Amino acid sequence: MNQTFNQCLILACGNTLREDDGVGPFLAQWAEEHWRDDPRVRVLCDHQWTPEMVEEVAQAESVIFVDCATDCEAGLVRTMSVEPAEDNTKLSTHHLDAGQLLALSQQLYGAIPRNSLLLTVGAGSLELREGFSEVVDKALPDASRILEEAVRRFLDPSD
Amino acid sequence: MTQTITIDPVTRLEGHGKITIYLNDQGDVENAQFHVTQVRGFEKFSQGRPFYEMPSLTARICGICPVSHLLASAKACEAIMSVRIPHTAAQLRRILNLAQMVQSHALSFFHLSSPDLLLGMESDPAQRHIFGVAAARPELGRAGIGLRRFGQHIIELLGTKRIHTGWVVPGGVTEPLSAAKRDEILAMLPEAYANVSLALAAYKQIADRFQQEISVFANFPSNYLGLINEDESIEFNDGALRLIGPTGDTIENGITAQRFTEVIGEAVENYSYTKFVYYKPLGYPEGSYRVGPLARLNIVKSMGTPKADQELVEFKQLASGPVESSFFYHHARLVEALYGIEKIEHILADPQILDTHVRATAGVNRLEGAGQIEAPRGTLSHHYKVDENGLITWANLVVATGHNNNAMNKGVLQAAKAYVKDGKFSAGALNRVEAVIRTFDPCLSCSTHAFGQMPLAMTLLSADGEVVDRVIR
Repeated sequence: MNQTFNQCLILACGNTLREDDGVGPFLAQWAEEHWRDDPRVRVLCDHQWTPEMVEEVAQAESVIFVDCATDCEAGLVRTMSVEPAEDNTKLSTHHLDAGQLLALSQQLYGAIPRNSLLLTVGAGSLELREGFSEVVDKALPDASRILEEAVRRFLDPSD
Repeated sequence: MTQTITIDPVTRLEGHGKITIYLNDQGDVENAQFHVTQVRGFEKFSQGRPFYEMPSLTARICGICPVSHLLASAKACEAIMSVRIPHTAAQLRRILNLAQMVQSHALSFFHLSSPDLLLGMESDPAQRHIFGVAAARPELGRAGIGLRRFGQHIIELLGTKRIHTGWVVPGGVTEPLSAAKRDEILAMLPEAYANVSLALAAYKQIADRFQQEISVFANFPSNYLGLINEDESIEFNDGALRLIGPTGDTIENGITAQRFTEVIGEAVENYSYTKFVYYKPLGYPEGSYRVGPLARLNIVKSMGTPKADQELVEFKQLASGPVESSFFYHHARLVEALYGIEKIEHILADPQILDTHVRATAGVNRLEGAGQIEAPRGTLSHHYKVDENGLITWANLVVATGHNNNAMNKGVLQAAKAYVKDGKFSAGALNRVEAVIRTFDPCLSCSTHAFGQMPLAMTLLSADGEVVDRVIR
């Protein structure tokens, strides 16, 4: 495994052409700008979370997964701790969820981040268009603030 | 009374497929069919679009090998433009194509096929996936992930994005390579070599356990088609196609993109949306052939890089003529991945690789153009017709899975006859029938396209496998 060690990895996923599924890329771009000069924070974003990301996860002290959610009310910003998944029988070759990535990290590298958080914004619409639904658009400043607080907490636990 | 066994969906493939096995009254296999159930329609909805949009449009057919469509499409566009791209652009595109091949072959071997090979065809389906591999052989899990990351990162360095990169355009590429990026790629090579060597060693160690599968996994004489250089070394971007027969003799050489439709035809069967591609002079289905890693290694006399050449010698010792069993696609895939890494290193040493002249420009100079390359799965051809304004009036894509379609169906029937007896089967037997398809590594997303009426059949089976109703359009 490469020796690079990230204190805080922000790992986002989503599709900017599927309306509110673009939440992950939006917050990733915001994070890139916000922590542009802070080498302790690394931001990765792609359409999906794939097995190839597992080495980055294993090397991080903390990881924050960012995505939209379809199992809650639109615009709701939630954070929850993530544990390595125990049931990995339903797998796709192209997309893992956060728990599966952690499980693979544990399996392959014997390591998972000390802190693992999933930040989601409830999707209002996933139509084929760019931009966000009104309710999600209003939630994005809140989501950015919560992301910032989480990163600050992980970078400096005494804060 | 006949019975029908259906495997739906086929797992660990790209795209969606279905296999139907037909039993006779004695419960023996009478026939088997591999149905591709997807419809894409790219050839239809691209009509009316400007030709220069086609590379980025057709790249969206697939997330695994979008680079292949980018390149074949760009070549078709360049034929319309009547341009020859700068040398540096051609070399950079080669690197891109090889990087894609490495990551695609890594996906096929490590994620899709190694669960069967490492854990066994009879192993618990709940464990027969990448997590099971990671648990049993974590070093192989890491090697697979490492090779995919190697290929994807090169694609990202060249084209900004890992998937659906936009860097390849008609006339060349949009950006030259920087010295920093070149050095970053070179720094990744040692780990890539280590990972592919580990995979080859692991494969060779376990392949002997699968003699039964080797004997019935689409193991029959066939023709083979692939690109080749004039010095008979392997080629993925340029050159012309060669078709060889079951004994290895050349049937036809020098099939350029412009001659493709003269000699290659497409047949339609009513049970699949994928067409059946064949060599016209021999007719259908006698003119069917195989493409992809097995075919390419059967056709060429050398790889052109030292380590891969050694592996080719060993590969060709598997048979006195062409290697016939499709099980050996796995072996051929790993040899090609090794070649890809070596060739990338070789190309990066080209003194012109950092040149900034990477694009030729022109408008419409011909109303028709075709381009062909070798994608990871086999030969890919794009053929377009445009009007004077450069708008697409007609497009046809012939993809690897179409070329292999007849062979896949024959392979499924052969495996089904070996593993389904007296109407009885085990989960491992059904997995072997699927595993035959996986040796071809088909990408079903590409292979479905429009050609007149769409056949559609729905078969209703009772719990014990009897057909109780069928709707056909």
